[in-house]
Amino acid sequence: MQKVIDGFRFVPPALRSWLTQEIPTGPFTGSIPWTELKRPLKELTFSLMTSAGINVKSDPPFDMEREKREPMWGDPTCREVPKDVTETDIDVNHLHINTSYIKQDINVMLPVKRFKEFKEEGIIGRLASTCYSYYGFQLDASELLEKALPRVAAKMSEEGVEAVLLTPA
Amino acid sequence: MVLTPTPEYHRKIGFPRVAAIAYPYGRVVGEVHDSKGQRAVLLEALSVFERAERAGEVYHLPFTWPEEPKETKWHPPEMSPMIRLLLDKIKKARKEAGNA
Repeated sequence: MQKVIDGFRFVPPALRSWLTQEIPTGPFTGSIPWTELKRPLKELTFSLMTSAGINVKSDPPFDMEREKREPMWGDPTCREVPKDVTETDIDVNHLHINTSYIKQDINVMLPVKRFKEFKEEGIIGRLASTCYSYYGFQLDASELLEKALPRVAAKMSEEGVEAVLLTPA
Repeated sequence: MVLTPTPEYHRKIGFPRVAAIAYPYGRVVGEVHDSKGQRAVLLEALSVFERAERAGEVYHLPFTWPEEPKETKWHPPEMSPMIRLLLDKIKKARKEAGNA
């Protein structure tokens, strides 16, 4: 029998009750985009994208100060994260998770090292030069969707990305 | 494809390909410096790219986090501003769920 994941396993009971109220009980009924896999993984170019709030230190960090003043607001911008980044190159800002693990090992959320290994082993075609992070607390995602993500999509297209692994924090 | 600890959000948003994993927020790929464990998760997630045949399918990955939820420290060091703001509503939701 297949294991069925309880997505609120790690959430305290009160927060579970509240979050459950926010999510429909039935299946999603809207339209879902679909692109068929036309080639095997070993021929595909991948990118990675996480909502963990990672930035390289030469870029501005995600804005935590405004969120502290406006608790229902989340920074709606994106950051590029080069595939050869290491933990010493990054900062992580997120007010809803413990960021210390990512600072110790970026691969727990943005598995760049693992994907470069997969490329060397012929499991995937390659990892594109650029991966991405945004900030996962978006009660109103319109600015993220309308301003930040089109630029991400354009860059992915420019780098020949064919498949993306998304890792929500 | 999304590798998510909370596949329930799929009911609200609708993802093309979903690999669900019972790992804590902030470490969905695995434990710090556990390259073997991270690889196992990612290889299973990658297989979903090949196994999924239609939009909206959810694949539940067969991994178990080594700590019990109460021992798993995924929370931020301080309560998030939103949780602090909505704490009364959140407590009310718990009471309502308990009475349901």
